[in-house]
Amino acid sequence: MEQKKSLNLIVPALILFTLVFVYYFPRFLIDSLGEANPWTSYLYLYGFGGYFFMIGLLLITKTGSCKFGRGRDTKWFTILCSGFIALMTLHAVWIHLALSIPVKSGVN
Amino acid sequence: MKDLSSLKDLGLETSDTIIIGVVVLAFILTVRAFGSYFARFNNNINDFFFSGQRFSWWLPAASMVATGIGSYSFLKYSEQGYNTGMSSTMTYMNDWFAVPFFVFGWLPIIYFSRIKSVPEYFERRFNTFARYIALVILLAYMFFYIGYNFFTLGLVFDELFGISQMYSIPIIGIFIGAYVTFGGQTAVIFTDLFQGIMLYVAGFIAVFAGIYALGGFTEWWGWLPESHRLPFVHLTDNPKFNTAGLFWGEALAGSIAFGFMNQGFLMRYLSIKSVDEGRKAAFFNVLVTLPVSAIIVGAVGWIAKSLIMKQAAEGGISGYESFQITDTFVTFLIVCWTTVKQNPWVFGFVLSALLAALMSTTDTLINACAAVGIYDLYKPLVKKDADDAHYLKAARWVSVVTTIIGMLLVVWFVNQDGSLMSIHYKGIMIIIPAIVTTIFLGAFWRNFTALAACVSMIVGSVVTVMSVWSPEWIDGLAAFVSGPQNGKYYYMRALFGMLLTGTVGVAVTLVQHWFFPKSVKDNLERSNGLTIDTLDKAMENYKDGIPNHEIGEKVYELNIQIDDSLEKNYVSMNAANLETLKAKDEDLVYIADSRWYLGGLRSNHVKVKLDNTLENQTIKMSKATHTEAYLLEGKKLNIEKIF
Repeated sequence: MEQKKSLNLIVPALILFTLVFVYYFPRFLIDSLGEANPWTSYLYLYGFGGYFFMIGLLLITKTGSCKFGRGRDTKWFTILCSGFIALMTLHAVWIHLALSIPVKSGVN
Repeated sequence: MKDLSSLKDLGLETSDTIIIGVVVLAFILTVRAFGSYFARFNNNINDFFFSGQRFSWWLPAASMVATGIGSYSFLKYSEQGYNTGMSSTMTYMNDWFAVPFFVFGWLPIIYFSRIKSVPEYFERRFNTFARYIALVILLAYMFFYIGYNFFTLGLVFDELFGISQMYSIPIIGIFIGAYVTFGGQTAVIFTDLFQGIMLYVAGFIAVFAGIYALGGFTEWWGWLPESHRLPFVHLTDNPKFNTAGLFWGEALAGSIAFGFMNQGFLMRYLSIKSVDEGRKAAFFNVLVTLPVSAIIVGAVGWIAKSLIMKQAAEGGISGYESFQITDTFVTFLIVCWTTVKQNPWVFGFVLSALLAALMSTTDTLINACAAVGIYDLYKPLVKKDADDAHYLKAARWVSVVTTIIGMLLVVWFVNQDGSLMSIHYKGIMIIIPAIVTTIFLGAFWRNFTALAACVSMIVGSVVTVMSVWSPEWIDGLAAFVSGPQNGKYYYMRALFGMLLTGTVGVAVTLVQHWFFPKSVKDNLERSNGLTIDTLDKAMENYKDGIPNHEIGEKVYELNIQIDDSLEKNYVSMNAANLETLKAKDEDLVYIADSRWYLGGLRSNHVKVKLDNTLENQTIKMSKATHTEAYLLEGKKLNIEKIF
């Protein structure tokens, strides 16, 4: 009974939510933007990727693996978040440039 | 216009072939000499496999460049770049999502617990049975990569020189096997550093030659079709390369497999002097190395597309022979040969990069397989309590056997149908989902039990393999991914395998906890220090004391004083120097030769003691400590606190 009480239900709950999310999120994107839209691929990647990234951040802070103020943990955490934002921004700008600058051959 | 379907159509003159051969041979001999020199830095089995956890972050990080780029990368990604454009970078630029789990989870767990291999983690975290299930899957993964690398190298030699794989693979195999067998991890790291630099230089030459031929960067971008400019491919359209599949197969399963279970990469991280430095290497790898590598291996394909478009519109490229690519597999070599204006010296150098890519990936994998062979098979099952010299000898034999098995596996690859990309992912996406998920649950969920780990790995692996013959099982998860039935689920099979393994693992764990609590009574104790929420314990064990996290400064240019009355692996300093370090008695510190470019080659971890009789900028240690750190007389050293 002790074990049962101490059992952390966060992980099974997250897995259940993930299953639902995995099923509905791509269908929502395709219905909204269409499969061929470059932004659909972008949102798919950063939607699912962002979801797992957030779970990662939650996990490392809740478990005490990353403690703000201990050693260089705060610095690494900041780099972690900045890196994600930087890559997301880079890919968005990239798509924008690809779509906005005219192609010489006229072939898309 | 030349219609090129193979390199034989390039019409290389005999003199060109000889020059290319000479350049490649010179490269091979240089690498061999490099490896031989660093073979001397192996005193024991820990040095042979892990280089004694002593290197600065940049050395393993730089050597990972070469490890991460296989011989197939140049061919595969140039082909992909030509066919789908800059989306060929996707597999290299989608690893960030797994980084929090690695840098704050898996890396400190294995580092502080001094885990030598993934199967060893399974034994300590779960039980012996789990260890051997993991071992079988891990070996399948490693041997698959070794065989695949030999196979692709054989293809290149066949295409270029007309040398049959029957001859080229054994020759290269013997060469690589020799320097790994005698050199160990230190030789691998340093030769990979050298090969990584060569690989980047050669790759940039190929890219600049192509951009120059086009008339500049603006011309290249201008002629590139919109579909080829985009960083992501269509969400679902191409069954062999689509965003949805790549996310599950590459960004999640692939990235986790590379970071969490690729023994070669783990050994690189375990050769670094501290977890903090390991984090630096990991961030550098994902933010710098992988994006640059994506450009190096794929850009020739993007350039090829622009060249073809410009050629078609303007009737040719001024100063260059017109060409048409009919076999996209050799895009890299054909475009490179054309844009360097058939210069055999430059082309030979670029070709050496292909060879560097193969050798650096394969040497790492052979050394990694040998580590697993010694720590997970030979030591626990054959000879438990031998001395280091014995294990070092055994490790060399295991390297030889690994090389031979890798070469024999080429026979299997030769008989496979499909493109290089499809052969690669067909295999990997079947092998990794179950073990990746189990590692994940084991490291991040303390309640996850040994029984659940074993059941989920077996069920996950078996059902994932069976889904090859029954792909309709994956329909519910991937029905919107279009494509031919047989090629439909290269990547989505990874999602299927991961979810299945995860569901089985969680279900078995919950049933055990709820209905059979006695069966899990030792679970919490056993997992202490081996899960993300017990890292404090892991750090305590590593240091053999309470960690001191206060951040101090490095102390540079210390004079060494030898005193054999001091215990081995201890050093002493005065209070002022300790204060600079913010270190206390018995804290763990890292001493290294003050020459930064050695990257920690001459260094060690020791404990520090206060000795107020010492002058400032002086450190005292025994001769044994001095020798074990490979320090040289008359050379100064730097010191920093670990914790």
